[in-house]
Amino acid sequence: MTGRGTSSRFLASVLRNGLGRYVCQLQRLSLVFSPASPSSRGARDYVEEKVVDFARSNPGIVVYVNPKDCRGPTVVAEYLNGTVREESIANRTVEDIAQLICKLASQSGLEIIRIRKPFHTNHPSIQGQWHPFTNKPSGLGLQTLHRVNQPGFPPPE
Amino acid sequence: RGGAATSGVKRSGLPKDVTIARSVFGSRRKQEAEANAAPPEDAEPDLACPPPRSRRYVPPENLSRLLKARVRALAGPALAADWRHTPLRDLGLRYNLLAQLAAELGHTVPNSQLHQMRTAQDVLNFYSIPVKDASKFDELCAADLPPNLKITWEY
Repeated sequence: MTGRGTSSRFLASVLRNGLGRYVCQLQRLSLVFSPASPSSRGARDYVEEKVVDFARSNPGIVVYVNPKDCRGPTVVAEYLNGTVREESIANRTVEDIAQLICKLASQSGLEIIRIRKPFHTNHPSIQGQWHPFTNKPSGLGLQTLHRVNQPGFPPPE
Repeated sequence: RGGAATSGVKRSGLPKDVTIARSVFGSRRKQEAEANAAPPEDAEPDLACPPPRSRRYVPPENLSRLLKARVRALAGPALAADWRHTPLRDLGLRYNLLAQLAAELGHTVPNSQLHQMRTAQDVLNFYSIPVKDASKFDELCAADLPPNLKITWEY
């Protein structure tokens, strides 16, 4: 367990999402863009063309469209576990923005950091983890020293 | 409101008829005051600038037939076999045709595009393009939005 510079976590899912039922983990999307600046062109076109279809196909996500003066167009994604991710969409095409928003919608809110192992299980062993007393006659550990010192020990198998 | 307050205060002292009369007069006075206040408020919008004319244009269903009839009526000897290829070289013909269409359909060919109107086909193409005057956001809001999409206007 080397302590590295960046943080890491184990593979996990939010409340076993996907097993049985799937709940979209994205709670709300806020699109902030300027109505006139050239860097918001992709954002404006996305709002014209694609955002209504996206909202219709994902009824569990609330989409806020805020045209206002801003430093650069951004999309802020808030997840059910409280994670907030802000991505800049300045100077990007409509397809790029659509792909990004699809990606945000399919993510859970878990942090995007190094995952220690690509697998995880709650039951790492079914029949029991091996230890040196497995497959040995039971009571072996309880032998008194007296018996141990008698001739004829250990008893023939 | 003053009349109602005073009638409320004096209700115990004076007989009922008088208090009712007071409240009626009070409300009448209020109505008169409102009526007097209304005309000056109405006068202001008249002085203000009226809203600009809507530039919306929707091509009518029978556009082709209409244009054909006009061209036939006006062209005379210049009529080609297919009315669409009728050249509009004659400035009188071009002016009359475009002026009549503008008056009828409420949509004028802008000056910058007059030189492009060489045949009746060009005129037909121009008049089949619809013009919307609502901004994209107005359209978006007027359209049927799903309940999870919220658009704000703070700019």
